Amino acid sequence: MGVSYLAVGWNRQKKIYDWFIFAFCVLYLSTFIAITAISNPDYTFETALIRSTATLAILLLHVILSIGPLTRINKKFLPLLYNRRHLGVTMFTIALIHGSFSILQFHALGNVNPFVSLFTANTQYNSVSKFPFQALGFFALVIFFLMAITSHDFWLHTLSPKIWKTLHLFVYLAYFLVIMHVMLGVVQYETNPVLFVMVLAGAAALITLHLVAGTREVRKDNQLFKLKSEGFVYVCESRDVPDNCAKIFCIDKERIALFRFEDKLYAIHNVCKHQGGPLGEGQIIDGCITCPWHGYQYLPQNGQSPLPFKEKVNTYHVKVAGSQVWLNPQPLPEGTERPGAAIIIPDNQIIENVK
Amino acid sequence: MSNNDFYIGWMPKAPGSFARHTKKVIIALLILAVTVGVLLATAQKKFSTGQFEFGRLTNITGVYFKEPVPAIKVMSGKDLLGRASYITIPLIGYGKFGAGGIILDLEKEKHLDLVKKEITLKGTLLYNDGKLLMQIDAADDPLVSVNKAAGENILPLQKELGEQTILGEIVDPKCFFGVMKPGEGKPHKDCAIRCISGGIPPVLKVINNEGEANYYLLMGAQGEKMNQAVKEFVAAPVAVKAKVVKYDDWVILYVTDKKSISPVSARQLIKPGSQTIGCIAPCLK
Ligand code: HEM
Ligand code: HEM
Ligand code: FES
Repeated sequence: MGVSYLAVGWNRQKKIYDWFIFAFCVLYLSTFIAITAISNPDYTFETALIRSTATLAILLLHVILSIGPLTRINKKFLPLLYNRRHLGVTMFTIALIHGSFSILQFHALGNVNPFVSLFTANTQYNSVSKFPFQALGFFALVIFFLMAITSHDFWLHTLSPKIWKTLHLFVYLAYFLVIMHVMLGVVQYETNPVLFVMVLAGAAALITLHLVAGTREVRKDNQLFKLKSEGFVYVCESRDVPDNCAKIFCIDKERIALFRFEDKLYAIHNVCKHQGGPLGEGQIIDGCITCPWHGYQYLPQNGQSPLPFKEKVNTYHVKVAGSQVWLNPQPLPEGTERPGAAIIIPDNQIIENVK
Repeated sequence: MSNNDFYIGWMPKAPGSFARHTKKVIIALLILAVTVGVLLATAQKKFSTGQFEFGRLTNITGVYFKEPVPAIKVMSGKDLLGRASYITIPLIGYGKFGAGGIILDLEKEKHLDLVKKEITLKGTLLYNDGKLLMQIDAADDPLVSVNKAAGENILPLQKELGEQTILGEIVDPKCFFGVMKPGEGKPHKDCAIRCISGGIPPVLKVINNEGEANYYLLMGAQGEKMNQAVKEFVAAPVAVKAKVVKYDDWVILYVTDKKSISPVSARQLIKPGSQTIGCIAPCLK
């Protein structure tokens, strides 16, 4: 990764991002509470607080869960992906306020400990309509908590990106728990279907986004490479790879990024060591392949991050035959140095370039 | 893709095309926040008119009764026909507790039996829909004075109304009549169970065909407490088969046993013209 990464702390973009999150939350909470107060002079503030934070948390959850697939569909959403963790931590904090106030309001000052009450007041776990919905919210909150405390890159490195990413997949379980928390909770009480319909619409939108993004990915992955010789696979014409950029190929389940740098071609593993960002969607900046997600950097010639950083990715052999580019999908050990394959530029192209 | 069309988060400025797109997304998200906020806030069921005079203490003088539920009966003058009029104010404790414990402590402390004595209590009022209740909290020194034994004329007027099956929802009167909104239904179920387990007397809330509500105290056949027995039926529609007795300005349902309470579907509860829904005693407004 690049030296420049550490040099930048809380930069301008991050500040804008955080201000935006703050404005979003304040705008939502004040709208909800003001409208509740105006349309219900008899409202109680505790309920307004519990409900406004609850609905803000679930709204943020939908935003968080749609950023991933949106960036896969359109790169222009990348600025939202970057520092998505701030959104995650914000969501957890808001949900924590909701959960804590609910426990206070509904379980404190009683004849048993509030946390015992949470699970034992209503024991109709065998019923659907009477199910103790608050327990579902509690487990979702525990998952969000684990994600929030392991959100720092320190944990990413300690746990290894793979485990960390697996931990993050639990967010989908938490999402499901939250949906059931709403459906078996307040939806059983309200007569107006707005909340019910909105939660359904939100789920439908998320599933659609994930399916659209997923099928695109799968289509790319299933591209067949037929022409093989001596372990090398024909992938494309050399002119298809733009300067300082890459094309991504998925060959035998290996995701490979083929970069063009100073008219040579270099192939490295497409998966960033940081959080698995798609390196092939990055660019070469100051001679380093730069990850589009958070800017980790790797040298094209050996897949290593420039010193003092120690990240290394697999590299691959590339061959150029005439205008054809051939790739060997057998990965070399991480950080293996190999020469770039010089592009043979056809005479007419040279003449054109000169013109 | 040209160089200035490449986005990296750690750069101080996003490239123009990204910045423009992000600006649009941000505006869309802010509009979304307001729209969702307005829609969800207006879709909420109307909050009840219940009041809990939080932080305000009131002195009330009346005759204390321990049965059927701890309450004080307050004479409020004469009604239009010249009869003595009164209101029975059930007492409840602090938090999710009944008043039984506090009264017992007060009696022990003063070496007194308060039953049928005229006393002045200091507490927090809560009320809605013609029903008035008072919270007494040991921290407020609730027993202001013990005046005298009340005469026989204060004894409750009882009238048997026969055995009936009544549809309604079991609520805890403290939350329902003022402390929480909503103080009924699924979102409030856990809390109602907690309150009723803590000794707050269970109440059956019944809506008649005209949409008026009435509230009946639930007791066992011999006047014993039903708090533990009703726990599993709280906050959901139930049918209760009981001996109905009008008891001063409250109505008491004497339930033979737990089997006399059974869950019913929510649809049954609101079905217009249903035989079993009824306001047996005049719905006090
Ligand atoms: C300890 C954890 C939690 C507890 C005890 C809890 C409790 C409750 C309760 C009692 C209600 C009903 C409130 C009412 O309308 O009167 C509720 C509603 C709701 N909760 Fe939770 N909750 C917890 C966690 C969560 C989490 C993590 C989320 C989502 C991020 C969430 C989202 C919601 C939503 C969207 C509603 C419906 C809002 C509404 O009432 O209109 N809850 N929760
Ligand atoms: C609380 C601290 C959190 C941090 C620091 C954080 C940060 C990140 C980052 C940087 C990634 C890797 C990029 C990626 O794989 O897409 C990621 C993955 C993910 N995060 Fe979080 N996140 C946090 C919490 C949350 C929460 C609360 C949610 C949802 C409610 C969430 C949803 C996801 C999902 C769904 C993925 C993987 C799916 C995908 O690849 O698009 N994260 N998280
Ligand atoms: S820099 Fe974070 S995933 Fe590559």
